[in-house]
Amino acid sequence: MSEVTLTIDGQSVTVPAGTTIWEAAAAAGIDIPVLCHDPRLEPVGVCRVCAVDIGERTLPAACVRRVEPGMVVHTDTAEITAHRRVLTELLLADQSATSRRETTTGDDALYALARKLEVGTIPWPDGSENTPRGHDTSSPVIAVDHQACILCDRCVRACDDIQHNDVITRTGKGHATRIAFDLDQPMGQSSCVSCGECVAVCPTGALTHRALPERPAHLEEVAS
Amino acid sequence: MKAFTRAGASKAAITEVPTLCPYCGVGCALSYGADANGVIQYAEGRDGASNARRLCVKGRYGFDYAAHPQRLTRPLIRRDPAYPKGPLSTFSRADSSGPRKPGGIVDYAEVMPHFREASWEEALDRVADGLGRIRSRHGADALAGFGSAKGSNEEAYLFQKFIRSVLGTNNVDHCTRLCHASSVYALIEGIGSGAVTNVVRDIENAEVAVIAGCNPTANHPVAASFMKQAAAAGTELLAVNVRRPGIAPYCRQYCQIRPGSDVAFYNAVMRVIIHEGLHDRDFIKRRTEGFEALAAAVESYTPETASEMTGVPAEEIIAFARRLGQARSAMFFWGMGISQHVFGTDNARCLIALALLTGNIGRPGTGLHPLRGQNNVQGASDAGLIPMYYPGYQSVADPDVQARFEALWGASLPANPGLTTAEITHAALDGDIRGLYCMGENPFLSDPDINRVREALASLDFLVVQDLFITETAEFADVILPASAFMEKRGSFTNTDRRVQIGRPVREPPGEARQDWHILRDLAQRLGHDWDYADEAAIFDELVQAAPLYANLSHARLGMAGRWYPCPGPESEGERVLFGDTFPIGRGRFVPAQLGEAPDLPDADYPFVLNTGRQLEHWHTGVMTRRSRALDAIAPEARVEVHPDDASRLGIHDGAWTRLASRRGEVSVQARITRDVAVGTLFLPMHFREAAANLLTTPELDPYGKIPEFKICAVRLAPELPPSAPSPPAEASRAVD
Repeated sequence: MSEVTLTIDGQSVTVPAGTTIWEAAAAAGIDIPVLCHDPRLEPVGVCRVCAVDIGERTLPAACVRRVEPGMVVHTDTAEITAHRRVLTELLLADQSATSRRETTTGDDALYALARKLEVGTIPWPDGSENTPRGHDTSSPVIAVDHQACILCDRCVRACDDIQHNDVITRTGKGHATRIAFDLDQPMGQSSCVSCGECVAVCPTGALTHRALPERPAHLEEVAS
Repeated sequence: MKAFTRAGASKAAITEVPTLCPYCGVGCALSYGADANGVIQYAEGRDGASNARRLCVKGRYGFDYAAHPQRLTRPLIRRDPAYPKGPLSTFSRADSSGPRKPGGIVDYAEVMPHFREASWEEALDRVADGLGRIRSRHGADALAGFGSAKGSNEEAYLFQKFIRSVLGTNNVDHCTRLCHASSVYALIEGIGSGAVTNVVRDIENAEVAVIAGCNPTANHPVAASFMKQAAAAGTELLAVNVRRPGIAPYCRQYCQIRPGSDVAFYNAVMRVIIHEGLHDRDFIKRRTEGFEALAAAVESYTPETASEMTGVPAEEIIAFARRLGQARSAMFFWGMGISQHVFGTDNARCLIALALLTGNIGRPGTGLHPLRGQNNVQGASDAGLIPMYYPGYQSVADPDVQARFEALWGASLPANPGLTTAEITHAALDGDIRGLYCMGENPFLSDPDINRVREALASLDFLVVQDLFITETAEFADVILPASAFMEKRGSFTNTDRRVQIGRPVREPPGEARQDWHILRDLAQRLGHDWDYADEAAIFDELVQAAPLYANLSHARLGMAGRWYPCPGPESEGERVLFGDTFPIGRGRFVPAQLGEAPDLPDADYPFVLNTGRQLEHWHTGVMTRRSRALDAIAPEARVEVHPDDASRLGIHDGAWTRLASRRGEVSVQARITRDVAVGTLFLPMHFREAAANLLTTPELDPYGKIPEFKICAVRLAPELPPSAPSPPAEASRAVD
């Protein structure tokens, strides 16, 4: 396999041809933030927070753009940081007041990114103020908060391409776009097998583990 | 305008402990996130060799059973008025086949008053005395032990060592007997090794994979995800099953055979392959023996004859044979639909012959893979928890081996092979077995023909049960010892891929509950054996010494990731694909099989064939999963699957109550109408005590593997009025939200 040498943040990096900029940077120990990407998934480049400067007219998504010989990549300029902050603020604008992910598995990637970028006041209106996207609590084990969903498609790809259960999809248009189960069934009535892969890959509070259901009273018997 | 003012995440309070999933043989690596009190909050997949961070619903959500309030915290001794022994709860009595209450776990309010709490000193003295007295009065072979494939290798090793060297009998077995005993027999006979020859994930290198008599999306869900992934990338799956498996939509071909006709199907496939010259002549010549006898044996199974026997059109049999015969590489996966028959060994012989015939062993993308059920059924068998073998499949009947183990263990050992699981309960009924040590098994629900098992358990002079809960079996116990759960112990576990991995403790056993190996050590000491081990790693080292199979492995070398066995050197990862050049017995043996007949066939009174098995959300007798709130909430009830044609003929609608009766017992259960089962056949999961499938099953055994016939019994099905629940712990309280 042929190799490609490029420069990332002043560092010379040699990787196999076909590698993405994000992978090449990761191999060199350079952390480019991502929300929609997970190394186990085919990249789709929809969240754009991994945008980098390669001297082109626009900022390409590092998760999808392949490396090229002699490419000069900047991952951390003032322009890029401003770009990422705006995107993050836009995503946060219609988030719920609290992320369930912060209180369950504690790994909300959107909130972590906001903290890293020192986001303060969000200068954008909450687009869902009058049209909340709603919740789905029909599954005993997985809580769905459409308000926290950033449509990154990670859950769709995890369900289709990792577990091959083919349950999750998208439905709706524009602001009303959201994830759906089968032909828009409540999750608990869909063909979902509760493997939890969607929760594992979700970067926000959109898909989280529910607290274990209450034990029915007749099972609450204490030994001896 | 909002302000983003969130403080730091609360994850700091959580400790993640890298360990394994306690459920199936796939052996997924995971971490439990536990809070400061040791309460597990979530499970997260680790990048294990068999799961690549994937989990299924049981691994992801089924971990809270260990924290269930019914956990035993002190030893219990049966009170005098509770003799003579018998079932203690309404549920477990013979006359209890009427309406049941929901919930599916032992009613402690009913059972506990028959026991009193005792100190460990008193309880262990009582056990040592109970077992010792039977040995001196009736001989060691009046004793038996059931170990468990849920325990670690270290526990399995010590348990069989205890039964053999301390009690002095080879009557030691575990649930492999109910699972793949027939497959293991056929594999040892055919190629000289009972374990898989290749790992699940190598299916990505296979051109074709046969998925025979198994339902991996329910029973090995993470393995199924790799099968589906391979199918998406071009591997062609060929499924054969009496009941439509969940993976069928991902298969190139699914053949729905009639119950018990597997041998006819595979013999016909082999006949087509031979007649069309698709067999691997070079492999057969170099690597096998007995081909002529096989070719002669399958000759009468023309596709047309086999079509009549199996119900599969002749052209489908031919298409199956051609696709398999033409493939450059093929893997063979199978499960309980092959093994759990009185002709289970013959079924497995056919699959082994098919692999030898097509030269599909020993290369990437080829191999034999009986999907092992329990998380440690491979390891428990490797560690000698079977009546005919010492650790490492070394025959107890071989005097040289016996001498070696007598030297290693410093004890004289019995020379005669012991009894198997179902033989032990039969022998208890006959009065030949009088004492039983049951560590983590629940034969009351797991063994066939519960009415027979009930009598057998009640007839024992002495029963000690070591478990997490009062199981149905423990209702018959003289002494109950509170043991440790998976997430409370350190130990190694060997998955279906032969990968040995370490499980680590997340929480402490509750109250006075003890590590299982401490209990065994203390009992051995009471019975005059000087057992002492520094820790689990030291027990493992002795196991490696006893079983050359595990050479080059140690707890330190297993580390976080584990290794496959055989492991040829200290630096080796272990071997994924086995037998590239030769088999442990030299040449592979073709063992021809003829179509046999099940012992309990339908007639006018019992017109249906009942198939029993498992479902995604539950585990075996439900001791764990029915105490998991999430799993119990998702799947709270049993359903018998009925084909819509049969249902409409009998006036049964989806969800209707029905009465199922076999020649041995009967249950009431709601119906699920589905085309997954064929007309004239039914399916009932084994997990639900209130509709216990094993009240119906037949106790006949396979002559070689001694595995019971769980897959075919004749039953009658009739609509029934809904049960008038006697004590209504309101059905409504089961709703979750």
